[in-house]
Amino acid sequence: MPTIKKAPSRFPNEICEIEVQRDISKCINCGTCAKVCPFGVHERKTGYNRVSKTLSYLCIGTSCEDKPFYCVNHCPRGALSLGVSSEYRTIGDYRWTRDLIIGTWKQAETGIPLKGQRYEIGNSGGGFDRISFNFQDGEGRGENGAEDMAHKSGAISTEIDLNKREGKKISIKVPFYGGGMSFGSISLSVMLAKAKAARAWGTFTCTGEGGYPEALKEYDDNVITQVATGLFGVMEDTIQRVKIVEFKYAQGAKPGLGGHLLGDKVTVEVARMREAISGSSLFSPFPFHSVYSVEDHKKHLDWIKELNPDAIISVKVSTPTDVDMVAVGSYYAGANIIHLDGSYGGTGAAPDIAKKNIAMPIEYAIPKVHEFLKQEGLRDTMTIIASGGIRTAHDALKAIALGADGVVIGTVELVALGCVRCGNCESGRGCPRGIASTDPELSKAIDLEWGAQRLINLYAAWRGEIVDVLKRFGMKSIEELVGRYDCLCYLDEGA
Amino acid sequence: MPKKYNVEVVPTPPRYIPIGKFEIERGEDCINCGRCAIVCIYEVHKRQDEDLRCMAEPVEYRCKGCFSCVQECPRATLTIREGTDYSRLGDSYWTPEIISTNWYQAETGKIPVSGAGYRGPFSGEGFDSMWTDMSEIVRPTRDGIHGREYISTVVEIGRKLPAIKFDSQGEIVSHIPPTLNVPLPIIFDTLPFGRFENVYGAIAKAASYLDTFMIVDADGAWFKGEGRKERGGERREKGEGRKARGGKSHLIPYISQPTLHSFDVDLIKACKMVELKYEEDVLSVVNEVKTLNPGSIISVRVPFGDNVEEIVEELTYGGIEVIHLYADLNGQTFGKSLIKNASQQTFRKSLLINDMTQNVHRHLVDFKIRDDVTLIVSGGIAMAEHVAKVIICGADLTAIDLPLLFALECRYCKDCQEDLACPVELKDVNPEWGAQRIINLIGAWRNQLIEILGAMGLREVRRLRGEMGRAIFLEDIEKDTFDKVFAMEVSYDAND
Repeated sequence: MPTIKKAPSRFPNEICEIEVQRDISKCINCGTCAKVCPFGVHERKTGYNRVSKTLSYLCIGTSCEDKPFYCVNHCPRGALSLGVSSEYRTIGDYRWTRDLIIGTWKQAETGIPLKGQRYEIGNSGGGFDRISFNFQDGEGRGENGAEDMAHKSGAISTEIDLNKREGKKISIKVPFYGGGMSFGSISLSVMLAKAKAARAWGTFTCTGEGGYPEALKEYDDNVITQVATGLFGVMEDTIQRVKIVEFKYAQGAKPGLGGHLLGDKVTVEVARMREAISGSSLFSPFPFHSVYSVEDHKKHLDWIKELNPDAIISVKVSTPTDVDMVAVGSYYAGANIIHLDGSYGGTGAAPDIAKKNIAMPIEYAIPKVHEFLKQEGLRDTMTIIASGGIRTAHDALKAIALGADGVVIGTVELVALGCVRCGNCESGRGCPRGIASTDPELSKAIDLEWGAQRLINLYAAWRGEIVDVLKRFGMKSIEELVGRYDCLCYLDEGA
Repeated sequence: MPKKYNVEVVPTPPRYIPIGKFEIERGEDCINCGRCAIVCIYEVHKRQDEDLRCMAEPVEYRCKGCFSCVQECPRATLTIREGTDYSRLGDSYWTPEIISTNWYQAETGKIPVSGAGYRGPFSGEGFDSMWTDMSEIVRPTRDGIHGREYISTVVEIGRKLPAIKFDSQGEIVSHIPPTLNVPLPIIFDTLPFGRFENVYGAIAKAASYLDTFMIVDADGAWFKGEGRKERGGERREKGEGRKARGGKSHLIPYISQPTLHSFDVDLIKACKMVELKYEEDVLSVVNEVKTLNPGSIISVRVPFGDNVEEIVEELTYGGIEVIHLYADLNGQTFGKSLIKNASQQTFRKSLLINDMTQNVHRHLVDFKIRDDVTLIVSGGIAMAEHVAKVIICGADLTAIDLPLLFALECRYCKDCQEDLACPVELKDVNPEWGAQRIINLIGAWRNQLIEILGAMGLREVRRLRGEMGRAIFLEDIEKDTFDKVFAMEVSYDAND
């Protein structure tokens, strides 16, 4: 198990729910608040005339009201009050609610899972947000007694096999790995942080379609390289050095459109990696122009296998109505993993019309493919990986219970690094917070060690939550949960 | 291959400072250190020009909500919130997002592209209860070297014969009904408000440039006066007048009381198409118009109300070539339909245009007369995706209203309906400026339609009509997938 270390926000003012407000026209800077608060919300530095700014994120909120050290009660001038912060009210959206964002930050800071529905479920009113676990009673009771042993030994396995066909066995210690985000869409330090966290947890991260930066070389064993329709930065060497090669047909956020990297973000470095010209927009074509059939598809996979016989191959597709057929086609072409990317997935840039309207959400695609592969007798030879809207460990567990073997995460990793989902990563200098940007100034914002630690913590919190849920179901391995529809229930509308 | 239709967009800035999404407040505690100006990459924060020691008021409309300034401020004295002017825009159907993205498109002519995944609700009513399909491997519509392959957005208005008959000499004996080609499945509808001369002027110019049509009230002052020039009755300039006389008119006069109307031969001959309000004996008027000009196409404007399927059927059998079905501004239809719920109980409910369009389309298909009539559908078409979706539901093309006004900066405050002053002075818009804004908006919408078609592997929008099999409907997919998944479920009750 990797070491969990506290990795606080890199911002002086972390966004939080409850804000301690100080009316400066009343405050006389006496410093009483600093003396009473045990959490360090207030500080009165010696040698300064005024009380330091309040650090609201350290405040325990309204639960402090009846405590003897409640600053509001102690202030001689009544200058302090607690209120819901304006930032808290402003941040977030239906899918990523304020609590999911802030909860992810907290988990990335501490590595401890957060309990409570508001940290587990979004407000989109459908899909994962209407599915809940069907716990029979408080704590898990097993069907076969094996889980009691698992309880005692604490040996609940979250490991999954990625290759169920013949060939090299590859497994990951946690049932998730990092999604493809290209160099260009995100900064090098974010890529490296992802890779470092993946190595620490014995899982993978993916290069996306923007080439394989040299600095990633030391993480080769934990990197998936992507062959996408634009073939940006695809080299024989990059295919030969990895254990998994991902064939990307489409992306959930923009199915049928191909990748978008707008000209502003094609810096000299990015252009060099992609063998393109800086400043010109890079739109990947759609679909693969040499793949019009399963036979063509097989030809491409054979070409990868020729270059790297040990590699296992993942095929990443989005979720049209015939996604089940596509999965079977991929099996016959020789794929080991079918990676379904649902339509509400993340992206660095996509037309809004595509994000909302094209193809189906992942919640429908998983059982569809799972059932069809079972029907065709192929379920035991194909690994199903789901992505596109997996925001929490609970979403991951629900996806697995719906029939996936594991999941791929993306947005949540960026949120862990401080993303507020403002959605401005597509143009100009890229992400104003320096995460999804290759701007030389902005991308300095993310320190590799800090970033890696935040992700290691997040993974730890997710794993912790996954283990908890498995315990409650009395299971000893995540593999037992696959396709267990009976573990889920569907909430009534408006519930 | 037909000549490539291209909408040339030109960035056209708004006349007024736009309403931004965020408000930023600088607290009294500010020490004018300028940290905010360093961290903000959108130039929201600046020092005062008059006094560089002080920070200026934040330029709020530029704010994109990244929270950087708020989080970096050493005194924690900046606050951000969603702006009240923004959240008050429009109403629950015409949301602030819809209005402001239409503004963006009218200004830039660009497809709205953003980072991060979809942020809205999982699904919703009407158009939000369906997704369009795509093709994963086959049917490429794009070419890696030559850019996007040509995808046609042309639609035909008029009756399409299932077959043409020839006599023994090989001459055509079938009567070929007149048809009109519109290069995109969007025409401009009459306006609910904002009926100013300059607004009409802007829309007419845009319609003419785009080679589409504008429906305009035949009894309105603009059509009687200015419109006469537009349709070539009078010469404004030498060249323009001649061009207009050559049948270049882009106006569709709308006659609201066809049975009482006395038809002006010049008018009928000058316009390629006339729209008549539906009345019981509208067919007699149609014959009158057809006698005046056999080449003119007549559209009957029918409300989406009770028995609309039967009315459309009757009109189609009566020889009507085009039917314009309209709902209210929010896409709500007027009648109540009989609905069966899950437990087979029936009740009456007013449907939205997506469902009603499907009903009418299916009805015509059942009677094998679908190609005898062109369906124009309007009411609540607010975004490019609605154009694609209503066509999937069975419309041939759409007519839009409010988005045209949004292109001219309208804020949908409805003040004008209470005789209050318009905050953006719609009556003073420069028609040239306005026309370009509308062209930009339509250019962006058309490109989005092409994105949808491309993803589906379709090369022309005509193929999209009624392609319900290439769409995913919430109700169907919930049933298909989740019935199986949750069948073992003992209880659906959320309170377990």
